[in-house]
Amino acid sequence: MLGLWALWPPPEGKSQARLGSAPSTQPANVKYVIKFNPGPLYLPGVVPENSDKPIEGIAKVGKAFEALYPDTKIEFIGVPGDVREWLVTSLSSGEAPDVVQINVEDVWQDIQKHWYLPLDKYYDSPNPFAKPGAPGSVKWWDMFKYPIPTRGTMAPDGHMYCITLDMIETGIFYNKTLFKKLGLHEPKNWSEFIQIQKVIKEHGITPTVIDRQSLADWGVDLTFYQIYEPLRDLMDLNYDPKRGEYMHGYLDWDELIFLHDKGFFTPADPRWQEVWRILKEWRPYLSQDLNPIGTDFMQQFVTQKAAMLWGHSMMVSRLVNDPNLGFEWGLFYLPPITKEYSRFATGVDQCVIGGSAMQYTVTNHAWSDSPNDPDKSERLKRVIAFLQFLTTPENCDKVVNEQIALLPNIKGVEPHKELMKFDEILQRHYAMTKWFFTFDNQWDEVLMRELELFLNDGIDREDFVRVLEKDLERTTKRITERKDLDIDRFQKVWDERAKMRKQFSGLPNDGK
Amino acid sequence: MTESSTPLSDTTDATGPGGPVLAYTTLRETARSRSLIDHIAASASLYAMLIPTFLLLALFCLVPFVIAIWRSFQEYEVGGTAKFVGLANYREYLFHDYTFLQSFGNMIFLTLFAVICVMIVPLIVAKLIFSLTSERASYIYRILFLIPIIVPNVAIFLIWRGVIYGDDGLLNLVSRALHLPLPAHGWFSTPSTVLWAIAFIGFPFAGGINILIYYAGLTSIPDSVHEAAELDGAIGLRKFFTIDVPMVMSQIKLLVMLTIIGGVQAFEGVYILTGGGPGFRSLVPGLWMYDNAFKFQRMGYACAIGVILFLLILALTIFNMRYFRSAEQLQGQTR
Amino acid sequence: MKQKRSDIFIHLILLTILGLTLLPFVFVINNSFRRTNEQYHSFFGVPESASNLVRFTWFKLTGQPDRIELRIMPERKDGKAQTVRAADVPMTRISYGEAMSNCWHELYKGFVYAWQVFRPFMINSLIVSISSAFGVVLVSSISAYVFARYRFPGHRALFFVIISFMMIPWVLTLVPSFLWVKTLGLINSYWVLILPYIAGGQIIAIFLFKGFFEGLPEELFESARLDGAGHFAQYWNIVVPLSKQIMAVVVIVNILGTWNNFLWPLIANPDQKFSVVSTGLYYLSQTQAAGNGDKSTMFAAYVIASIPLLVLFIYATKPFMTGVTAGAFKA
Repeated sequence: MLGLWALWPPPEGKSQARLGSAPSTQPANVKYVIKFNPGPLYLPGVVPENSDKPIEGIAKVGKAFEALYPDTKIEFIGVPGDVREWLVTSLSSGEAPDVVQINVEDVWQDIQKHWYLPLDKYYDSPNPFAKPGAPGSVKWWDMFKYPIPTRGTMAPDGHMYCITLDMIETGIFYNKTLFKKLGLHEPKNWSEFIQIQKVIKEHGITPTVIDRQSLADWGVDLTFYQIYEPLRDLMDLNYDPKRGEYMHGYLDWDELIFLHDKGFFTPADPRWQEVWRILKEWRPYLSQDLNPIGTDFMQQFVTQKAAMLWGHSMMVSRLVNDPNLGFEWGLFYLPPITKEYSRFATGVDQCVIGGSAMQYTVTNHAWSDSPNDPDKSERLKRVIAFLQFLTTPENCDKVVNEQIALLPNIKGVEPHKELMKFDEILQRHYAMTKWFFTFDNQWDEVLMRELELFLNDGIDREDFVRVLEKDLERTTKRITERKDLDIDRFQKVWDERAKMRKQFSGLPNDGK
Repeated sequence: MTESSTPLSDTTDATGPGGPVLAYTTLRETARSRSLIDHIAASASLYAMLIPTFLLLALFCLVPFVIAIWRSFQEYEVGGTAKFVGLANYREYLFHDYTFLQSFGNMIFLTLFAVICVMIVPLIVAKLIFSLTSERASYIYRILFLIPIIVPNVAIFLIWRGVIYGDDGLLNLVSRALHLPLPAHGWFSTPSTVLWAIAFIGFPFAGGINILIYYAGLTSIPDSVHEAAELDGAIGLRKFFTIDVPMVMSQIKLLVMLTIIGGVQAFEGVYILTGGGPGFRSLVPGLWMYDNAFKFQRMGYACAIGVILFLLILALTIFNMRYFRSAEQLQGQTR
Repeated sequence: MKQKRSDIFIHLILLTILGLTLLPFVFVINNSFRRTNEQYHSFFGVPESASNLVRFTWFKLTGQPDRIELRIMPERKDGKAQTVRAADVPMTRISYGEAMSNCWHELYKGFVYAWQVFRPFMINSLIVSISSAFGVVLVSSISAYVFARYRFPGHRALFFVIISFMMIPWVLTLVPSFLWVKTLGLINSYWVLILPYIAGGQIIAIFLFKGFFEGLPEELFESARLDGAGHFAQYWNIVVPLSKQIMAVVVIVNILGTWNNFLWPLIANPDQKFSVVSTGLYYLSQTQAAGNGDKSTMFAAYVIASIPLLVLFIYATKPFMTGVTAGAFKA
């Protein structure tokens, strides 16, 4: 009886509406079945909320590619990419799909294991699918619209391991109707921002909602940038020309470790203390519960219990598609922190914190027909060709613009008009470093958990900074060992900059 | 089947302290003088019947377990190199890990809470159902209380977080209506409420198979026992504690054992709801093992934690069996 | 008469506990009929489409057909996102029939999508769960019979060895297990699920069978032995026919355990050809987490995933209850 039920034909004959594409019942001439994980957003068959149509954009691109390469079949599959045990087991055994959407920071953890293919040489050669004379006909790299955050996916070893089809960016959604009612306007600096939130709070409304992880990730990095930006030239010890072109002054893990040895980011660093003071002073205006399990932040905003939501571009479609939304909403970016608010700040514009959304990484399975020499792999040629095919403007448009969620990262493809504000934000300077993600995951956990505890008055600032210091000590030691980093090579540059250090006050150990 | 003659008698241990639960007086006695080797040879066909079980266990449980134990003596990450470090992982976890004390405390709290609940609530519900006069009503209740077991655990956690503990959840609605104080930062983020909030998921702990198990125990109590007790003047609660509870002791023992085994290694709920936060206030060792194995890339260290948990469960189970056995013998004496 | 009054009291207590126990599930079922944006506005509430069905029927009956109006979103351009703000779309007056079909569609939409995701996985789930339950019954009942009815050197030690396997934390052996079954060449097959499920599931099953078999009257076996029946013959002719109910218990307990297990199928079968329902459930929840999943689909998926178990239960409740009541659950 159960069997009969399972065999029952799908309703209304929409048999292609399923997660991923149908398992291979391919014709005999298909030699290469390429498994491609497009990430949960583009997985064919997923029904976006408040929509009647399952996603199909990338499946169409796959069909078009198969027409060009009859010996190849592209299968789109869902994978538990956020489940590390899956990632680790399938990659170590060579069973992963040929292309997987994985957060680039997860890739960084394992670059020394040769699970992933460095894509630099492909970026530097032409994309055969680019129109003659158009971007990409000389170098694939030229096709990408937001080079700065795209370079942000470059691993600390100097290689690019992923293709970025689209961008995600954060911003503060605000309730325009409420702002008008209370006579408020978009803040120009941090003091105004706090002032606005004070007013809102007095009216019994939660001023801003954000979850603990985003706070530990975006919140920390933005505040860090505001406080440390003046020291950028002093702290950037390793100038990488390729990356520097786009991300001047970005601090890699080895630089952070060296600076930490010199007393930065320790309890003795007044700027480090200042970062946490600023976040703590913001705390009274955030939602009571920072754990997204306890509070649905989107719901708070939609039901007007919260006036502002620090969210990202993927949330736009929810607001657009909600017929019961009782207010107008707008979007602004976090305002700069000025000298009046913090003695270390200069009022420089806030930096970009978003970046690559779907990050397509080529795994060791792609060259499984020639495990020792990827260059000889016929499979890999097709995998790369499909990635190149995917990045043509027409195909990118088909995939990315099917939903209002992400910004196409290919030149010549316009984002949806609702996302244009994020396009502006993406032109800003890139973050100086990413405290969340750069070291090992244990550090991320400790940072997020202890920050939550500190903000919720579980421990005081002194203890909090001490706990961080303890784990920073541990994680830097482990990274140095695991990645075999040469930290001492920075000593020379550091000595050369002794004079420069004199210009700044409040350096740890008096800048020695 | 050459040895058709010998269902073997209890030479090995029937005389020892704590023999099997059931007395095997009916099993045929054979000569006690036969040597051990003879016995083993005589039981060859019995061992043969156990082969499928042990083959499967060896292949799919033992081998991975042995690999894990071996890994626990290494600094090892999946896909990376392995380095033998002796007992260093164990030493680090037991003496230097800053989560050790906190997480064990949390685990003990959660397990104890679950054990107490599984001992009390289903038994009371079973007793209530059992004392209904209508056979049909009792049957319907038994079915209805079973429904929750068909829903996946993950779903239950997600439902609870939304329906009960959410910002607009039932708990807050009721608390606000009654003007009760709410936790300062939500149920899962306030250090003083987080463990209780996790422990209370599944309240009133009545769903599932446990009620049936106790019900079975209650039905197996002969009417004569009840009548005798009533003649002695035992009624109501006293009767419940002097007759019913001792008589379902072996069911309690099983459920306690299963709850401990599950409780010590459980971490799904904590993982889904708090990730162990705020700080490490709701972390449990199982989650720390999981984190180390898959997030922190320290498979060897995770294996060491796992082996420690295994030993702990083993010790608790043996303790549980011995402790409850004495309770049962006590009951045997009073019978 | 006194008996009756105390019965009412008991009914009250039981109904309260039952209500609390089942409350969360009522919400799941209710929310599977509510659109995502409804759920954003409140966690509780009557599904809008359901209330519309009633409202419009009322309007029709009371002769106010002009009050039947709905917000009809314009057709989406092929492959393009909906760019009209939903709140800007005016209400349109439509006919009763149209409104009804619209509302019905909204109501069961989540189930349609969830079913489309699950359909290919459902057969796999059935194959895996049923064959492993069958395997468990076969393997464990033989072993349990040996442990229950015979005393032989090492029987206690061997039994304890089996029980102690229950105490190995499953996370500990996850990765070693995967690397090991890969060495055995089992991945991407049903076997990689069925065999470990039998290996792991038999432990508790042996426990249950043993408790039951110990209670069988010795006289049966004695007379069989007098007729010259061997160990296996006794098992086959006496034990099996008497154990239908306890077998139902084992089957159900086992299927419950394997049906909702998702991590192992996820890891062991990277090929979706062998994916099971719980894996589909996981993919759906992942799209939720990514922020673009439909909420009603998610809740409907929970309901659909539980339906086979519900059907199983309806068929097997009676033997299951007698089986449990026969008293195998004890230590």
